[in-house]
Amino acid sequence: MLRLHSAQVSLRHIWAVTRKEFNHIVRDRSTLILVLFTPTLVLLLMAYALTVDLKNIPIAVLDFDCSQTSQAFIQQITAGQDLDIYAYATSMEEINTMLMRGQIKAAVIIAPGFASDLQALKGIPLQVIIDGTEPESGNFAVEHILQRAEEFIDDALTKQLRAQGISIDSLQALNLRVQTWYNPDLKPRNALIPGLISMVLGFPALSVALTLAHEREHGTLEQLLATPIGRAELLLGKIIPYIIVGLINVIIIPFLSISWFHISLNGSFLLFFGLSAIFMFAVLSMGMVVGVFMRTQAAALALSFLVIFFPGFFLTGIFFPLASMPEEARLEAMGLPGTHYAIITRGIFLPGVGMDVLWPYAVMMLGLGVVFTALAALFFRKKLG
Amino acid sequence: MTSIIETKDLIRDFKKTRAVDGLTLSIALGELFGLVGPDGAGKTTTLRLLAGLLDVSEGDASVLGYDLKEKAESIKPHVGYMAQQFSLYGELSVMENLQFFAELFDVTPKDMAERTERLLTFAGLTEFKKRRAVNLSGGMQKKLALACTLIHEPEILLLDEPTTGVDPISRREFWNILTELHLQGTTIIVSTPYMDEADRCSRVGLMYAGKLVECDSPKNIREKLEGDVIEIQPEDWQKALKTVAGLSGVREAQTYGESIHLLVDSGKRRLPEIERVLKKEKLAYRSIRIAPARMEEAFISLIRKLEA
Repeated sequence: MLRLHSAQVSLRHIWAVTRKEFNHIVRDRSTLILVLFTPTLVLLLMAYALTVDLKNIPIAVLDFDCSQTSQAFIQQITAGQDLDIYAYATSMEEINTMLMRGQIKAAVIIAPGFASDLQALKGIPLQVIIDGTEPESGNFAVEHILQRAEEFIDDALTKQLRAQGISIDSLQALNLRVQTWYNPDLKPRNALIPGLISMVLGFPALSVALTLAHEREHGTLEQLLATPIGRAELLLGKIIPYIIVGLINVIIIPFLSISWFHISLNGSFLLFFGLSAIFMFAVLSMGMVVGVFMRTQAAALALSFLVIFFPGFFLTGIFFPLASMPEEARLEAMGLPGTHYAIITRGIFLPGVGMDVLWPYAVMMLGLGVVFTALAALFFRKKLG
Repeated sequence: MTSIIETKDLIRDFKKTRAVDGLTLSIALGELFGLVGPDGAGKTTTLRLLAGLLDVSEGDASVLGYDLKEKAESIKPHVGYMAQQFSLYGELSVMENLQFFAELFDVTPKDMAERTERLLTFAGLTEFKKRRAVNLSGGMQKKLALACTLIHEPEILLLDEPTTGVDPISRREFWNILTELHLQGTTIIVSTPYMDEADRCSRVGLMYAGKLVECDSPKNIREKLEGDVIEIQPEDWQKALKTVAGLSGVREAQTYGESIHLLVDSGKRRLPEIERVLKKEKLAYRSIRIAPARMEEAFISLIRKLEA
């Protein structure tokens, strides 16, 4: 029998608080919407904002060559959706104006003699100008154009060699292949979304951090503290309903990621669910520690952002790799349930690993949960003022 | 008489104020004790201390023999505390609030069923038992709060201004319930701003600036009022009030509707004098008489004396 504060923990007391809290969540529509849909909303928002697939970048073309070959080259580089031709310029001044106005992000200038130089296998006289104020788009355009230009030259070369009767196979000098595992098309979303999932599923911690302050502000805490309820009973009773609501999100969020973002879940969903339950316990206990110290909801909210969300963002390795963090930051990261959960989520979603690999992280989360609950119960006093 | 609540030089400090300042009080089993005093006198803090909701800063206090500094949790099963403001769960129904507190106070399911029925009838809430507490009227909320504090049949009731903001009929019903509980032997400590309610208590404690300045039966407190009350019913009370308020021997002038209550040093001596002045000033009046002092006059005069 668990003994805390010289009082036996009564399941009936815990259950009474859990039911009350659950009714509060379900009957207060704004709370219900907040706890049920915030994770979904934030996941959608961040997934789109953080992984913009660059496409339809406007460029201008200035063709001094005006040959069939240069026309074919322009078609080659603008095939697909990556680059859009905004205008065919006739002078450098025009290009300058369009860049200044931000109408185009890059310009391709084909020098005179493009066709003849290619024919003579002298390479191609090609100039690309990019808008340095937006390097992402510009670099993307340059890479794209270079790649297409190489293909174009390759094709031209092959044709010429064929015409001269030389077999192309004998020319395979170097064959470098890069293999990417787990995320073969290296889509940033595939890697990011499991990380984001681990972050948004921690959101109910915020509601838990607010629940004690909410009772304090509404005066209900006064009546509650006048009852013989034990401290641990009260705190556990308040955490349990949010674990349940959190687990509903553990079903919604992967479903959304799979059906909407086409992320594949390579590991076991049951394992994910089970480890998510441990994570809920740990992260909600952390929220409760915040709630125990803060008197008002506004203060609890502010502290939650400071100690739960910002570290969750920067330290859990979702956006910045743990390996490149300084020693102190890595140590702090170990104290956050989100760090371990991010590893677990990525592990189950991408390579699809099992408990044989993930058990140390599960143990860490469980340990953190117990420590946080104990801290909350230790510092929570059944007193007003 | 066995005393079940004892405090000695009890002090409670907040950051900037000393809310309770050396309170020494002894309350016997079965008393209906009224705590009165102006706003900020320390009534709420006293009740919260006795309910174990605040830490004792200095001094001693015990409830049912449990030291409040060491064993505040042990008193909770025996005490029913009702906060001044509405502090039940608005989104829970009447029935659910009762059940919630029954479970926290370890009332057995069998007792719970029987007591909720009885308390709902007692509080006149039977037909509203499915209504959410937030949708009840102010008076009904107070009665529900009382029902919730009674669910575990506490030996001691601590009620903080239970009838403030309640209509007169609900107020009377509420006091009928309290009287019944008092007759059944429950010890009740109730704070109130209403002097007619203080009059219904077996003993009244007057708090002022964190101290208990007077503690006696309502009858004795009334008698402690020095001087007499002269009640005048003038035709034009505004003019009459201006005229009589400054007369010698008049300590206080209060108005009750259209009548004026004068607190004077001696009724017999001042009554003819006042009559003479009123006639001289040609101020007509329907009646003038020496009236028995009420709790209210006694209270105001005591407070004025302390403030002076």
